[in-house]
Amino acid sequence: MCEGGCKGAAKGRPDMKPVYPRAASYPQYAGLVDRKNAQVDRQVFVSDAVYQAELQQIFARAWLFLAHESQIPNPGDFIRTSMGEDDVIVVRQRDKSVKAFLNSCPHRGNRVCMVDAGTKARGFICNYHGWSFGIDGALRGTDGKVYEKDQSFEKAQIGLTPVAQIDSYKGLIFATFDPDAPSLAEYLGPFTWYMDIMLDNDPEGTEFVGGAIKSEIDCNWKFPAENFVGDILHAFWTHQSGAQAILGGGVDLGSRYDELAFQASVYGHGIETNLDKVGNTRTLGYPELVDYVFDLSEKAKDRLGELRARAIGAVSSCTVFPNFSFLPGQNTFRVWHPRGPGKIELVVWTLVNKSAPEHIKEQYRKGVMMTFSPGGVFEMDDGENWEYSTRVNQGFVTRQQPLHYALGLESADLERDLPGHVHKGSLNDANQRLFYTRWAEFMEYDNWTDLQSGETAPPQKKAVEAAE
Amino acid sequence: MLDLLNIAKPFADMDTPVDAETERAVCRWLYAEARFLDAERYQDWLEGFIDPEIHYWMPDMETRRRDDPRGTFSYGEAAYFDDNLPELTIRVKRYNEPSAWADNPATRHAHLISNIEVNATDDPSLLAVCSAFTNVRNRNEADQDIIHGRREDVLRKVEGGFRLLRRRVFIVQNVLLSKNLNTFF
Repeated sequence: MCEGGCKGAAKGRPDMKPVYPRAASYPQYAGLVDRKNAQVDRQVFVSDAVYQAELQQIFARAWLFLAHESQIPNPGDFIRTSMGEDDVIVVRQRDKSVKAFLNSCPHRGNRVCMVDAGTKARGFICNYHGWSFGIDGALRGTDGKVYEKDQSFEKAQIGLTPVAQIDSYKGLIFATFDPDAPSLAEYLGPFTWYMDIMLDNDPEGTEFVGGAIKSEIDCNWKFPAENFVGDILHAFWTHQSGAQAILGGGVDLGSRYDELAFQASVYGHGIETNLDKVGNTRTLGYPELVDYVFDLSEKAKDRLGELRARAIGAVSSCTVFPNFSFLPGQNTFRVWHPRGPGKIELVVWTLVNKSAPEHIKEQYRKGVMMTFSPGGVFEMDDGENWEYSTRVNQGFVTRQQPLHYALGLESADLERDLPGHVHKGSLNDANQRLFYTRWAEFMEYDNWTDLQSGETAPPQKKAVEAAE
Repeated sequence: MLDLLNIAKPFADMDTPVDAETERAVCRWLYAEARFLDAERYQDWLEGFIDPEIHYWMPDMETRRRDDPRGTFSYGEAAYFDDNLPELTIRVKRYNEPSAWADNPATRHAHLISNIEVNATDDPSLLAVCSAFTNVRNRNEADQDIIHGRREDVLRKVEGGFRLLRRRVFIVQNVLLSKNLNTFF
């Protein structure tokens, strides 16, 4: 407790300024990723100590996805979500800006918001002692005004702890708890060029439809994140049954696209795509959606150029480091919230173009439900793989054994003029290696200068300008 | 369309109970259905229990304030199932593939059905049936998922029995405490 004389607090009054954690350096954990041998030590999936370091080094510093602008269109509209394991409220303000706060009363710490979402809220009131907060997070009053009569109480000094920085990119709202973090634009870097495949293929932009579905999977958060960053390989085997059910055949990347397929990575964010135009969209099972994407791809050539226009509905997947993923063409957007080293809460949404006809939006909503929701014919078979990849490491000897991430070691594509680290072919561990390299950078570096200039930083080349 | 078949609408008051004989027949039908689902006889379930005009809906539950006009769930928003017959058929096709890994080795199922109420409706060919369920899945050594909930069914009387025309499934979980839903309700 501060005894007075604290900066910003009157004498005798407690200083209630937000506390943003400091990063440290854990070279011993960074060393669990063996770049030379393309191996990952399984401690990263099971160790409590490593997990606590992840919360400090990664989730308290990285820009994390919070919400789509369309989820909270009006002042007072809010959703509750997580940043790491921290419960957060995201609220549209009267001036149309968005703020986000820790969902914890500064009095005894109870949650001030118990619901998933709401509209037109005037504020948040703690159920414990009736402290009430405006949608701007400021303390408005207390039950019975007992505190207001107390000399030591200064209302203006108390509020819900805001995130350190909040910003949005083409409809997607992100925030960080690190005041020293670079801007969102810098954090994403030229990876936005790939995100635009989904976010900017139409002049009217995007929206989420149909709310969120949440589920628990007993796996480490990095397994699904690395799966979406660049593991299309699993689709052939894991999702054979889903593909048979919907398409009447196994997963087919279309070998005629082998020459086009690539993986690209920037600061650990990654995309793999086959550029086959509609391979992902086709799996939603509605022929009209395939027609829609063919048309969209044609129209989007002006905005995105030929290559990215081919990617809108293609067999492809993306992760924005650390835990925000999406599938172009299938339009599922999701966050893998960590809940301890061996558990995640998965939240999934469906993204559509605002300009899409209503029946197309409806088919995306149903198509994502049929494929990439807990009962969907593709997602059905993912969870158990990730759970046992995590759980087997309870075995003391098992967890001493390294994991193999060495597919495509010689596949760097030095000719293709695309942003980031580019590798040939989509069947490749390249993005996953770079995902874990980024993870190791976060473990090792306590400052953003090092974080933004390590091995995962985009190579200096004329790619971005040339590709535009 | 009859209100009864509007998937977004709950049943009106359940105050028109059918005679004991009809009720018994419906109970037998519900228990038989549960037995088919326990045995993963999904194709037989589609063929023997499901009406071609089926609408099978299981919305996602959200936690909302009591005064929130949207409520806990809303038709047209996120759902686990919002299926017609072709969509149910796709799900069954997956189960029948030898590479449906989440079902091989087999899951052990128990569908427990209770709180059955059977009411007559304005349409003599249709019955309004409420029930509660416990859906237990156990697989491998000790992976167990238990889901409780309620159902509101519309059954169509057909020769020799009934067909499921509409099913609303309301589970009590918000965050689904399972990695998947390799089951029907």
